[in-house]
Amino acid sequence: MRALVRWGSSIALRQALGHALLVVVTMAILLLIVYQQTVGAWRLRIDREIDVTTRHLVEYERRLGPAALAAHINALLGDGIASDTEIYALITADGRALAGNLSVDDSLRQAAGGIGDRDVVRAGRPSHARLCITALQDGALLVVGRDMQDQRALRQLMRRASVWAAAATVLLAAAGALILRRQLEQRIGGIRRTAHEIERGDLARRVPISPHEDEFARLSRDINAMLDRIHDLMEGVRHVSNTIAHNIRTPLARAVARLATAQQAPDPGASLPAAVESAIGEIQDLNSVLEKLLRIAEVESGTRRQAFTTVSLNAVVVDALDLYGALAEARGLRLTHAFAPHAMVEGDADLLANAVANLLDNAIKFSPPGGSIHVDTRVDRTQVMVAVRDRGPGIAPQARESVGIRFYRVDRTVPGWGLGLASVRAIAQLHGGSLQLLDGAPGLEARLIFPAPADG
Amino acid sequence: MHRCLIIEDDADNARYIARGLSAQGWQVSICSSPSQAAGQVLEPAWDVIVLDRMLSGDVDGLSILQTLRAHGRRTPVLVLSALAATDERVRGLKAGCDDYLTKPFSLIELSARIEALVRRSDPAESPRELRAADLRIDLITRSVERSGRLIALQPREFRLLAYLMLHQGRTVTRTMLLEAVWDYRFDPQTNLIDVHISRLRNKIDREAQFPLIHTVRGAGYMLAARPGAAASEA
Repeated sequence: MRALVRWGSSIALRQALGHALLVVVTMAILLLIVYQQTVGAWRLRIDREIDVTTRHLVEYERRLGPAALAAHINALLGDGIASDTEIYALITADGRALAGNLSVDDSLRQAAGGIGDRDVVRAGRPSHARLCITALQDGALLVVGRDMQDQRALRQLMRRASVWAAAATVLLAAAGALILRRQLEQRIGGIRRTAHEIERGDLARRVPISPHEDEFARLSRDINAMLDRIHDLMEGVRHVSNTIAHNIRTPLARAVARLATAQQAPDPGASLPAAVESAIGEIQDLNSVLEKLLRIAEVESGTRRQAFTTVSLNAVVVDALDLYGALAEARGLRLTHAFAPHAMVEGDADLLANAVANLLDNAIKFSPPGGSIHVDTRVDRTQVMVAVRDRGPGIAPQARESVGIRFYRVDRTVPGWGLGLASVRAIAQLHGGSLQLLDGAPGLEARLIFPAPADG
Repeated sequence: MHRCLIIEDDADNARYIARGLSAQGWQVSICSSPSQAAGQVLEPAWDVIVLDRMLSGDVDGLSILQTLRAHGRRTPVLVLSALAATDERVRGLKAGCDDYLTKPFSLIELSARIEALVRRSDPAESPRELRAADLRIDLITRSVERSGRLIALQPREFRLLAYLMLHQGRTVTRTMLLEAVWDYRFDPQTNLIDVHISRLRNKIDREAQFPLIHTVRGAGYMLAARPGAAASEA
């Protein structure tokens, strides 16, 4: 009973039964049509033949009389054409057989008029026959017919074939259900086992991907991609909490140490103000680091996607250039730009501004005096890009991978927290784009690449 | 004298704010219980209300703010919160607050923003022209004159100067300028504002007899005929 319930809840079984039913119905309709086209058509032809022959013989008798008809019938029976199926009889009004190969009985007279099926005795042998019995003018009866033995055999053959075919179909459908069910179980089993293992805490598990490139392989791949993303996020959280702990504890410890030293100094009154000021500075810095980290986390959570609108990247860059132009000028840097028309991005204007400002900030920070920075936007069919190129020291290829990881800094002598590019990268990813760092030969070319908006 | 109500259940923080504002000539009241606050905010006496978001008993300060606005009161409200996420800020602004400051904050930032709020809510202020000593700017034609000499400014420089003049005699912080003039809501890594101010100074102050734009150490900038004019004004 439980097995039955399990089967009832199996999609494979339901599918297979449904298919089997469909096949059986289709077959039944098919057989019916074949039967109609063969057996039915055959019967119609025989009826027509019987009818034509009967009319011919009636006409013969009317013109030449009963004796000539009898002779004609005997000649027909003796001509060797269709002699194993044809049936003729000419019966007088008092019930005597004048000619023919049919054993005569009284029941024939009652059935006179029209065509019908009857069991008769033909040439001494029982026969299932189709007969046309016609009453002639002098009370005699003319019987014209065909033996239907062959047709009956064909009908039986078809019936038997149908039964066997139906049985075979049902068996095959059942076998198909079993195989389909086992296959489904196998393919889904992998996913379910992986899910259970992950649920038990083994987060590194992935759904095995079968070599068949089918729906399940695609589903498995999607699930694995989702698991990878979750894993990355969790790893990110772990890494971030570690680095945050380190980067927050260090300045805190420094502030505490400085305050404690000042407190224990022989003359606290003289040393405390400076210590307090530096401690406040440290704590304010910490606060801004926290602020930046929270911003990045907020961006990574993806919630800001709800506020996306169509933003002109050129306008964003113009504003950033307006903000940073004065700084570049003060540092003796040449800031140039080139815009592609219609550089539109689906996004959050504040965040895009933040990202572009960060890239400009970096470019200015790392440019040698008298250097130049070029900002341009580019548009092609699939993507929209803003590139910031400086002539600074650039980033070594092996370090480029690590840039954008929170707190990673290429040059620790330059002031900063190592959060700027992490935030740019997070913003790019939020917009479905990416941050690329290329060799500007010399210098660095930082590219923010976004997908072009759907409507072009 | 301006009156300020501080709704904050953290006694240390409330005292810190109160002391700082009192030193600048504010008359300050502290309310630490959310239930009392709901009644007190409706008093017409306040020129500005500083409201903490997370109050004791899991009360969200925004509910008090909503009560206030539901009664049709337009008292300027500055919300303090440790919740910095953009949607939290947006929630605050939607609930009807006039400014939103994230904890921890500097007293300078807080008092500068409060001053700006009071100034903004002053009904008489919708001028066409602003004056400070011999500096005159026309907000409609966007012309700037100092001692009768016309000064050409870039559009952004004009906005910067106009903001400083609207808040003349009061300290404005770099963050406030970045928000108001450039509409940027993040903290740039470099002190960009200083560069813009120095350019503006070059145009406004260099050829004048006395400077109008002053640096307030550790805080920001102030436009005033005489430095330290803040206390005597208002």
